[in-house]
Amino acid sequence: MSKTIKLNHITKIEGHASLNLSIDKGKVKKCELSAVEGSRYFEGLLKGRRIDEASELTSRICGICSCAHTIAAIQAVENALYIKPSKQTIVLRELLTLGERIRSHATHLYFMVLPDYLGYESALSMLPKYKKEITIALKMMKIGNQIIKTVGGRDLHPVTATIGGFHNLPSQEELDELRKNLEEIKKHAVSTAKLFSGLDYPYINRKTEFFSLTSWRKFAMLYGNLKSLNKEYLKKDYQRYIKEYHTPYSSANFVVKDEKTYYVGALARINNNHKKLSKDSKKLLDESGMKLPNNNPFSNNIAQAIELVHSVDHAIEICSKLKIKNEKIKKYRVKAGHGVAAIEVPRGILWHEYKFNKKGEITYANIITPTAQNLRSMEEDIKLLLTSIINSPKKKIVSEIEKLIRAYDPCFSCSAHFLEVNWE
Amino acid sequence: MKTTKLKIGFYGITGCAGCQLSFIFNEDELLSLIDLIDLRAFPFIKEFNLEEKFDYVFIEGLVANKNDLKTLKKLREKADKLVALGACAHTGCVPAYRNFTLKENYKHLLYMKRTEIQDVKPTPVDTHVNVDYTIPGCPPDKNEIMNFIKDIVKGKEPKINNNPVCVECRRNNNVCLLDVGKPCLGPITRGGCNSVCTNGKFECWGCRGLTDDADIKLLVKLLKEKGFSEKIIKQRMRSFVGLKLPNLEKIMNE
Repeated sequence: MSKTIKLNHITKIEGHASLNLSIDKGKVKKCELSAVEGSRYFEGLLKGRRIDEASELTSRICGICSCAHTIAAIQAVENALYIKPSKQTIVLRELLTLGERIRSHATHLYFMVLPDYLGYESALSMLPKYKKEITIALKMMKIGNQIIKTVGGRDLHPVTATIGGFHNLPSQEELDELRKNLEEIKKHAVSTAKLFSGLDYPYINRKTEFFSLTSWRKFAMLYGNLKSLNKEYLKKDYQRYIKEYHTPYSSANFVVKDEKTYYVGALARINNNHKKLSKDSKKLLDESGMKLPNNNPFSNNIAQAIELVHSVDHAIEICSKLKIKNEKIKKYRVKAGHGVAAIEVPRGILWHEYKFNKKGEITYANIITPTAQNLRSMEEDIKLLLTSIINSPKKKIVSEIEKLIRAYDPCFSCSAHFLEVNWE
Repeated sequence: MKTTKLKIGFYGITGCAGCQLSFIFNEDELLSLIDLIDLRAFPFIKEFNLEEKFDYVFIEGLVANKNDLKTLKKLREKADKLVALGACAHTGCVPAYRNFTLKENYKHLLYMKRTEIQDVKPTPVDTHVNVDYTIPGCPPDKNEIMNFIKDIVKGKEPKINNNPVCVECRRNNNVCLLDVGKPCLGPITRGGCNSVCTNGKFECWGCRGLTDDADIKLLVKLLKEKGFSEKIIKQRMRSFVGLKLPNLEKIMNE
């Protein structure tokens, strides 16, 4: 018996994606996950623009992680020109990144993931019964947004961060206010970790490489080498071990490392760097019963919830310790250069690479997003998941595959989908 | 007597999801806002989406491929009123800047080789269908979206600000960034953002589109006098609103 499953428009993810499956005699013959949204060709339209414009333009790649693109673009240029940002600048960029992570994880966990496990079509239809949970999510999203607005000047597409510093700095009072609000939501982050540790997830186990930044000092975010298993890699050599290729069925590029699939995101970070988590998040990780290293992609939901607690802790620490100095933006001389940045953003490693001429005009840009890196893994995991549910009713197969895709928190960059399932 | 709520849909075509998030990020008011309306479709956060007649459809994104065009035309048919939500839908935003760049810029990109889904010229929504309302901005201000919805629920005609950003910027006592040598587009750009960028000492790039009586000539003259090259003036002005400035080349040469 052969059958075809076509998910034309997958809902509750960021981006336009579709899935094409065909199964013959109990075996998966085809599994193609594709981004079907229009290409925006950011790397091409950056050519000829000045290096100090890259952060403003590339922040438009993504709404939910615009701070990530802003910071990656700035860091790549700074690396090219050997500009060393001040300690305060680095800490404020970390705070911006944490705010974005809190907002992104809270949105993903409660609006995209939770309805699937409680048997609802959306967070909105959960409302009468689960108003408390949705209110908690909105409170955490609000504080995430408040951090970004305070540090970045605007809650989406931040405006203050630039090469060598910040156009405008938050005041000490604003940081105090953030600290108070963060302390207020800490209990919500903890209850989120408990809630998501207790959900009943499907189980698959495919050996893969978990790839993330790593640092001996802290839970790596903006600095450090790349780590997979016990091997470390340098950022600037990335084109040696990471390859992009395209397929005729998708508008996103596929990415492999050393010719194999790999995994980026909260689960990779927890697998590789769990020793550097904050005290409370480590305790919650222990209590979650999640075995490490963990190969089940569904555990990414737990990993995100644990990271939520860690991010709140880390942000509280920054807001309590940082004494704002009125620093000027570092001056720099424009010359020809080539720089790479890799940072940990909500969904995994984000790469920005630029080459530019002596006038500071970009001649080459390459951007690799976390979702592109995870696409091949998602396909492999879907195939594996299918083997265990291949004889289940159609509805069950579709809902399990969707749960898996959502566990990856993919961002196909924007969304427009209505679920259409075609069986033959 | 039972009153019927407005049937509303939120959709995205090619974009970044930021405009839809701006609506969701009305954190404290989101739930009461949703209570006011019959939110029938919102595929970004809903699995079941009732694809029938809508009183209002809010659409985020620009038209970048044939799929977008198909979706847009279908939604136009189903919507009594179509609202262009955010800069991509309104002006084409940054992705439409591609119209002003060289074809050879894109030669090396892997995804150019793809043929299955065909690209179309990146264009805003009003290039293809009639638009009833626009909520400008990249991102649109979340309060503006909220107020828009409250207005239409009350049957009140929603208003869009038509003052330049400079009005709010002055009210916020900011230093004029043109005076300190930055290529600020505030004088020709529609306000309503509370001058959020210039408050952060970052010059306006024009994301909210042009005011009805924008004096492009005057700003070009001013920027030239300040020493900005024609190339930079054109690049900046075209970053967010290029397609709405068809005469820029002519103005530059005057």
